[in-house]
Amino acid sequence: MANIKIAQAKATSQIMYGVCTACAVLIVATLVLITGYLLIIGLHSLNWRFFVNLPQSDSPGMRNSIDGTIILVALASLAGIPIGMLAGVYLSEYEAKSVLAAPVRFVSDVLAGVPSIVVGILGYELIVVPAGSYSGWAGAAALAFIMVPIVARTTEEMLRLVPASYREASIALGATKAGTILRVVIPSATGSLVTGAMLAIARVAGETAPLLFTAVGSPYLVHNPSQPFPSLTLRIYELSNEPSPEAQSQAWTGILVLIALIFLVNLSVRYFTRQRK
Amino acid sequence: MTAAVEFDSEAITHNRRSYGEPAMRCAATASAIVILLMLAALLVVLFAAAVPSMRRFGMEFLTTSAWRPNSLPVLKMDARGKPIRDRRTGMKVVDHYDPPRFGALAPVTGTAQTALIALIFAVPLSLGSALFLVRIAPLWLIMPVSFLIEFLAAIPSIAYGLWGMFVLGPWMGGPARWDRVAGLVPMPAGIESRLSGFFMRISGLHWLAEQQIGGKTVPIPTTGRDILVAGIVLGIMIIPIITAISRDVLRSVPPAQIEGTIALGATWWQSCREMLKYSRSALFGAIILGFARASGETMAVLMVMGSAATIAASPFTAGTTMASTLAGEFPEAATNDLHRGALMELALILLIMSLAFNIIARYLVVGKSARTSAAH
Repeated sequence: MANIKIAQAKATSQIMYGVCTACAVLIVATLVLITGYLLIIGLHSLNWRFFVNLPQSDSPGMRNSIDGTIILVALASLAGIPIGMLAGVYLSEYEAKSVLAAPVRFVSDVLAGVPSIVVGILGYELIVVPAGSYSGWAGAAALAFIMVPIVARTTEEMLRLVPASYREASIALGATKAGTILRVVIPSATGSLVTGAMLAIARVAGETAPLLFTAVGSPYLVHNPSQPFPSLTLRIYELSNEPSPEAQSQAWTGILVLIALIFLVNLSVRYFTRQRK
Repeated sequence: MTAAVEFDSEAITHNRRSYGEPAMRCAATASAIVILLMLAALLVVLFAAAVPSMRRFGMEFLTTSAWRPNSLPVLKMDARGKPIRDRRTGMKVVDHYDPPRFGALAPVTGTAQTALIALIFAVPLSLGSALFLVRIAPLWLIMPVSFLIEFLAAIPSIAYGLWGMFVLGPWMGGPARWDRVAGLVPMPAGIESRLSGFFMRISGLHWLAEQQIGGKTVPIPTTGRDILVAGIVLGIMIIPIITAISRDVLRSVPPAQIEGTIALGATWWQSCREMLKYSRSALFGAIILGFARASGETMAVLMVMGSAATIAASPFTAGTTMASTLAGEFPEAATNDLHRGALMELALILLIMSLAFNIIARYLVVGKSARTSAAH
């Protein structure tokens, strides 16, 4: 009787060992399937015209959308990264245990989980409605909104890893607190701070929902953010609703370019972090 | 980290006039306050814009499912219940117009349905591969597999949407035959029609695959643009979060806990179960985070099944979720205050729901894994 139970337990164990391995294999296989398909289909219509032509051209490209995404992400970073980093500095260097710090930490954790469509609606209400038109500014603001909590939390975590003795030494030498932060703490964590910022950039570069009612998209080459603004993701979404196979294959190529962009950012992050170690 | 010794830096530098110090402190404090204001702005703006709908519908908004942005003409009927026709023109006579109505039940149900299907797919796979990474994988394999899973998280949602719409949907919803899944590997396609046939044969489940048309019960045609496919796409999207967090959680189980079970003669799986049991609250937190992420996802759902404002009992019909209703209808609601208010109330429900889930998950996972926020 006991032997049967032990044999059963052993058999179950063997089976579950296999099941766990199969789970990992299945996930990796799914990823390979998805990216493999994206690569094969996307490469189909990938050529240099895709990067230089406008959508209206005979061999349509996504020049304006690529520019649009880069400008939107750059504008969002200009606002989102400094605010996020300063908030992270506040949490780690100034009032680590004050009345304000706990709620800020809590809120930035919670904000990171807010559905991005809701952020888009906020951008619409606060910027598009008062301004009277869709604009790149509104899109960039929505993206910045998403960046701030991510950057704040990673900055705090990274600054906490800087040994306290660095700060003590700096202050003992007569530096002010601001001087210590700017010349000692931040420089010794530069690598990981860049990593955090890059990850936030990679995250918002692929966002679509917050741009739907803010930047809205545009078929033209627009560089003025006070007008409706194009973005890769919006263009891909638009193309996915068109029935023609050409539009669809363009959408796949757009996805490929977008993922390549994000992948490049991720890879450079890995490179940065490896050099730090 | 050791506690920093308190230095009175002002005492050292007080006679050197420095504007850098207060400026830095102000900037940092202001940025911290900005974060608080961001959440306040979300709540206040959505609440204010939702007021017209709240006044009009009250609690009914949560318990009804009618979603009708325009007035509905109601025909004048005679005593036998037939529409009365105008004598001169022969047109049916309109008695009155039913005002627009909005109820959130359909999107709320749809959100729950898709997110639950996502969990059914994602949780076993994620926990299994987390165990694989912690207990099975040789050292050289951990890095690449972790990297791949994190890469899965970095793929933008619109890519999953496109893939679900053009690849997974047609493959699952098509006729039952051998087909190349994702255009690459031959596999049995048409899973949906097989599944629907399976439901039909089981007496307790046949309602999952049937619908009523004109008083007749007919099987629902499988299209691949339905709740099931949307749920599976969401499942693939939340696998990385659940896997990454549960991997970190399982890794932080004290080795003595595992060694103890093995010393008592536990098999590999029995000791794994102990691990899972030991960290069950944090794993539950990881699952809640996955659920929150799946229920807030917009683009993938919108692209796979659109936003049809009906409550669907069957996974083979298209439904809607809160997020996809917002994305689908917001542009046309700009001029209709009530419609806009209803959408805003929907957004408010979505926001409060995701805040609640994130707060719960944070309390369950916190301390066990520092990566909670980074995994988003």
